[in-house]
Amino acid sequence: MRLATSFSLLLTIALTLTFAAGLVGAADKPAEVALTIEKQKFDPAEVKVKAGAPFVLVVTNKDSKPAEVENKDLKVEKVVAPGKTVSIRVRALKAGSYVFVDDFNKSAQVKIVAE
Amino acid sequence: MGATFVVVLREGFEAALLLGIVYAYLAQIGHSDSRRYVTVGAGLAVAASMLMGVAVTILSGPLADIGPDVIALTVIFGAVALLTWHGWWMGQHARQLRGDLQRRIDAAHASQQLWMVGLIAFTGVFREGAETVLFLWGLMTQLTDLTGMAALLGGAAGLAGAAVLGWLVFQGGRRLSVHRFFAITSLFIMLLAAGLFSAGIGRLQGIGLLPGGEPLWDTSWLLDEHGSVGGFLAGLVGYRARPSALEIVAYLVYLAGATALFFPHVLRRRTRRNGPVVGSAETSRV
Repeated sequence: MRLATSFSLLLTIALTLTFAAGLVGAADKPAEVALTIEKQKFDPAEVKVKAGAPFVLVVTNKDSKPAEVENKDLKVEKVVAPGKTVSIRVRALKAGSYVFVDDFNKSAQVKIVAE
Repeated sequence: MGATFVVVLREGFEAALLLGIVYAYLAQIGHSDSRRYVTVGAGLAVAASMLMGVAVTILSGPLADIGPDVIALTVIFGAVALLTWHGWWMGQHARQLRGDLQRRIDAAHASQQLWMVGLIAFTGVFREGAETVLFLWGLMTQLTDLTGMAALLGGAAGLAGAAVLGWLVFQGGRRLSVHRFFAITSLFIMLLAAGLFSAGIGRLQGIGLLPGGEPLWDTSWLLDEHGSVGGFLAGLVGYRARPSALEIVAYLVYLAGATALFFPHVLRRRTRRNGPVVGSAETSRV
């Protein structure tokens, strides 16, 4: 039982951190990168971001079916419902290029170049 | 069709596996009558997944931005806590369960365990549930042409395939001796929970709550976690082709802690070897 308690504690800490970060995130306003999903494609298909700084992908889905913006290596996995706009926090990236796909339609890809 | 089959099969596999184990576990401890706890847990998870799917399509703003992350993290760490508790419990009672002494577990202790088992079923199904619901819903919107139909059919077949796998695990698990069943599932649950714990840490890094996140090595040339074999391994034992340092540390720390909690008799027996041979008659009976 002591174990269950310590794990609940861990969980609470994790959650508190998440909420706190949400607040902090709102305060320091990382750069936003706008993307649109339309006709099963990302527009633009390639975007540049600053290396070493976290940023927010603001994805709008103009199609009639849900999409899931995903990059497994960066642990990004977020559903964007039809007609909705969702902000996705991405951690600071080393210089290089990173491909995000729509997990529900793998042919839709967007390349993010950090430099 | 093949692609959607694999996607849904992979999403459903982990849930089916857990359900199979939990049902077999109840059969093994002689509480088959309590299956409804698991069924209710799994059913509630399906309902919650659909609700989540609807919520994601209705809500917008900060709730839609952070909400899914908070829920995902809660489910991940909640599942880790539950699985740890369960593994610990099995470790404590493995000795009692040896031979054909299931009945020795006193009813009160076992019934306290049952809602936990229901919760495990819930987290197992809910974890990938909302995503699968949305994926299948996306397929349904494409029903206008033949490829859309084939894709939906593939998705349904994937769901059925996962259910069959779960059923096989249940049948296999039920037939094993209690001792072997506990040993195998304890090991499996430990690896699964270690993988989950590490994944949770990785996710916290992904949204920038924990520092770091750069991969320490890259084995994707050998086994890609996005492929079918690597994908199953990722779900089962937490395989990562490009893990971060913190993910590796989390995995190892969990394994070390869980070994002590899940297999206390292994440690105890080792120390006993040097001391007076107490209980050797008991062990030889096994």
